[in-house]
Amino acid sequence: MNLTELLDESAVRWPKKPAIIEGDTAISYNELLAKISSLTSQLQSLQLSPSCRIGLCYPNGIDYIALTFALWRMNLVVVPIPTESTDEDLFTIAATMELEGILSQKPLGGSAKIQQNCFFTRAEPATATDNHGLNIAFIRFTSGTTSSRKGVVLCHETIRDRIQAANKALKISADDRVMWCLPMSHHFLITIVLYLSQGATIIMARHVLARSFLEAINRWQGTVLYAAPFHYALLARDSSSLGISSVRLAVSTTCALPEDVSRDFQKRFDQPLVQGLGIIELGLVSLNTGDPQTRWNSVGRPLPDFEVRIMSPDENGCGEVAVRGPGLLDAYASPWMSRQQILRKGWFITGDIGRFDKDGYLFLSGRKTAVINVAGRKVFPEEIEAVLNRHPAVRESRAYGRVHSHLGEIIEAELVLNRPETDLDTVRDFCRTHLASFKIPASLRVVSALPRTVVTGKIRRVAAAA
Amino acid sequence: MVEASEIESELVAFLQREVFAPQLAFTAETDLLASGFDSMSLVRVLLFIEKTYGLWIPEGEITGAALSNARALAATVSRLLHER
Repeated sequence: MNLTELLDESAVRWPKKPAIIEGDTAISYNELLAKISSLTSQLQSLQLSPSCRIGLCYPNGIDYIALTFALWRMNLVVVPIPTESTDEDLFTIAATMELEGILSQKPLGGSAKIQQNCFFTRAEPATATDNHGLNIAFIRFTSGTTSSRKGVVLCHETIRDRIQAANKALKISADDRVMWCLPMSHHFLITIVLYLSQGATIIMARHVLARSFLEAINRWQGTVLYAAPFHYALLARDSSSLGISSVRLAVSTTCALPEDVSRDFQKRFDQPLVQGLGIIELGLVSLNTGDPQTRWNSVGRPLPDFEVRIMSPDENGCGEVAVRGPGLLDAYASPWMSRQQILRKGWFITGDIGRFDKDGYLFLSGRKTAVINVAGRKVFPEEIEAVLNRHPAVRESRAYGRVHSHLGEIIEAELVLNRPETDLDTVRDFCRTHLASFKIPASLRVVSALPRTVVTGKIRRVAAAA
Repeated sequence: MVEASEIESELVAFLQREVFAPQLAFTAETDLLASGFDSMSLVRVLLFIEKTYGLWIPEGEITGAALSNARALAATVSRLLHER
């Protein structure tokens, strides 16, 4: 199967209904299909190899969605690339994900123009790409250390399965109008693809200010909000009298919801924020639509198709969360590791620490790994350190996450310097050149030595601390 | 106590250097939202203010008026510091 069939079916059922609204422009399901067809013909002139992988470095918008579906129409593999990526990131992603090319809104070196604001840059993979016989739709690049797995591989069927499983809780229908404000390069499958498969309307809300966002909700009578705690904090503290009575579901995603944001939002709008457990390897495993008022910090009970188990629980019932169910990832891309090799007796081990309460609600309390979660984007400390250590004044460094009361986690780093008189601004400038903006440490601290483990002498890693 | 003018010049330097493209002729009167200031930029400037002045701007203060330009933002920071 191909995911474009889901959109085709929506266009048959709701041909004239708006699929996406961006500013004052509304595009119907039929018009979206026509746009995809026209893009497909233009892309065909590039004579790309069958089933090759194409990077998509594009900002949110109708074009982002149309390009993804056009690539799927051609049976090609989409690899989203965050627009804030540096040239170095682009090169790394192209090489490790074996991209045949990158589609971008701005020209890169040697780009060919496809149409206005759409450029294609060819990037010959070093080896012929091997998709291992899978019907791959999508690879989410996840950066990491040399030893870690890069790239979550998802087939068309896998994405369809997880969409079906997720909608048993989200219950998106053609009556929904979803207010969209998160980057599509990080959120697309159980969101945008799901919404379009159900005939919903997506409203692009680019608003920084709470007031403009609230006005947009009221103008379009938005029914579903899907945003980060930071956005909800801004909305909750808005002092106008604007309400959100049209909203039936407000999902808080990307990082743990702080208690004051949950409380203030509920007080201001008389409705709760709902958290869930969503992981790119798994899809949406749980959603707390059952009791978001009192159990505001729970990610809810597992969805009907999923089983969740706490491994080796301690005396408080806390342990590592393992999951099994439909739509689990098909493979890691680099180095290739099949689903069978990844799962342990059919279970995916998440790395999250959690416990169930007596009614079966899941609560997450931390992570087993040192990966930093910056608004839902996984950042490995090693990649920050690799850049810091290349600065001539830095002898060694340690990056880590710090829990921030308003933002979830932020990145900080400790440096041991070769020259104590070094101006740290030169290190910050260096980070800006070599790291995507969300990976730049919010603070740099000079120390005389880094903590190391006694046995191996490796830098001691800690999960994010307050 | 830090003066508003001092905060203004520090904010201008930060925004010019870390948020906007170096080629943008950025001043204390540049319209932030019209120059591409997005929610990621907002997070970064809030963290900068927290680190520099020990102040987390309450979300209710993040209004169109406060974000109209660096001067208005500096005035908000200065007022909140005085109120503490």
